[in-house]
Amino acid sequence: MDFLTGMAYWGIILLAIINAFIVFRMKVKIAGEEDEDEKKNVCSVG
Amino acid sequence: MEYLAKNWAVLVIMIFYVAFCLGIGQWFKKRASENVDAFYVAKREIPGWAIALAFFSTFISTNTYIGQAGFSFQAGLSWAWVGVYWTGFCMISWLLLGPRMRSQTAKLKSVTIPDYFDYRYKSSFSKVIRIFSAVIIIFATLWYMAAIAKGCAHLLTSTLGIPYAWGAFLIIFITTLYSVMGGMYSVLWTDALQGIIMFFVAILMVMVPAMYVGGWGPLMDGIAHTTHLTAKGQPMGDGLMTFCTLVSFAYITSIGFAVGMKQIAEPRCLIRFYSVDNAKSMKFAMIATPILLGVSLACVFGLGALVHGMTTDTEAAYLVKHTDQVVGFMLDKFGNPWVTGIVMAGLFAAGMSSFAAVSIIVGTAFVGDIWTLFKPMSQAKQVSSTKWLMWVYSAIIFIITLYPPAGIVELTAFSGAVFAAGFFPAVFGGLYLRWGTGKGVFWSMIIGIGTTLLWRFGLRFYLPGMKDIHEVIPGFIVSLIAYLIISKLTSGDMPDKEHLDHVFHTQES
Repeated sequence: MDFLTGMAYWGIILLAIINAFIVFRMKVKIAGEEDEDEKKNVCSVG
Repeated sequence: MEYLAKNWAVLVIMIFYVAFCLGIGQWFKKRASENVDAFYVAKREIPGWAIALAFFSTFISTNTYIGQAGFSFQAGLSWAWVGVYWTGFCMISWLLLGPRMRSQTAKLKSVTIPDYFDYRYKSSFSKVIRIFSAVIIIFATLWYMAAIAKGCAHLLTSTLGIPYAWGAFLIIFITTLYSVMGGMYSVLWTDALQGIIMFFVAILMVMVPAMYVGGWGPLMDGIAHTTHLTAKGQPMGDGLMTFCTLVSFAYITSIGFAVGMKQIAEPRCLIRFYSVDNAKSMKFAMIATPILLGVSLACVFGLGALVHGMTTDTEAAYLVKHTDQVVGFMLDKFGNPWVTGIVMAGLFAAGMSSFAAVSIIVGTAFVGDIWTLFKPMSQAKQVSSTKWLMWVYSAIIFIITLYPPAGIVELTAFSGAVFAAGFFPAVFGGLYLRWGTGKGVFWSMIIGIGTTLLWRFGLRFYLPGMKDIHEVIPGFIVSLIAYLIISKLTSGDMPDKEHLDHVFHTQES
């Protein structure tokens, strides 16, 4: 198998790894949850 | 008795599989009927791992496991490049759309894609957009569902000898039954089960040629220099293992975009984001879905090329012109009833998961986005009407499946282009651009779908060198540009600041 043909297969794996890296570094918030976070912060400060 | 002796393994696996799907429907029957939120989006309480599996199994259909896998018999191992595109679009879908869509739809109390357009854009055009997009969903998915039912019915005929009409009836009836019983709960949980089956079946399938010839070494040596001929009668030589010798990269790119883009535009995929239960689940699904999809595609997309190692010159000469039969041939030649039974379950899982997902999308679009606008009704009545509508729609699908129009598979691919051109700018702009307007959405839908039609029926096959450029590409680009320009020109149609602040308040960073 030549390099470019093989690249399709390991390229898929590489994409999945890059994606995982990006997601690990992302802060994901969802509506409703931030209110609970804010309440917790207020409680911990208080 | 002879029939049972021959097919008992396949029958046992299929009976267990169907019983499990119906059991899930029965389990969630009461919970799904509580209110619209429960039936339409499973109360946004499904864990990320189940959503990841459901997204994967919904996007992939029988066509991938049979049609695309078989096509590499003709195209060689380079065909896996299509999988690279699809995995890339899966990443884009989850990274760009997933978290924001989940957040905004919860804030807006949106339970369908058309009602998201209505609530998000709050425009004088909102109701028109909502009805128009629901109509697109209803008509564009008709052919897709019939194509899936047709494929599954043919599978039942070829493997179990069940007459085509009965096979179509069984597939449509069973899938609709569990979808109606448990609403989005049963659709998502059966999709998750089907996703698990499909993932392992993809791995099992790619191992079959290697097991048949006695290992990966002999298999790869066998296909590296084959005496088989291409569909045009030329010797394949080392073409199966060299880059784009047997298929053009333009064609690979065309299919990669045409089908891959469905993940960023089709309601059956986008609606999955609505049901994720929390941010932690969302992150998990964002990582897991491209892995599930990518690994499966890496296994499936080169399968046909590997089957060359199992075939004689005469068999290859036939299969290269009938690539849809490659997977069936492989299973027949391998001759292990358990492997055949498990793979069959995977193929039905691929078909049924997509069918169920679309079935509930159509029901909710018709009742939630059209019917209730003209005749408001209670939540209980809306849920029961959606169930009845799903049955009626399934009956129509059954009739179309019995008398499928010529070129139904092409119609299916075309409907994907319609969604990409019609829905993506509205979704993306709604999630990211505060200045996007309802008028921008409406005209981008009209112009995008118009361009798609024009390219498909007026230009693609008449302009030299354009044959490999799928209509999704010009349709998508023109639609996106139209959305941006018209939104800028119609800034007076923007929702008020308070509404936009509410919608855009919390986003991922």
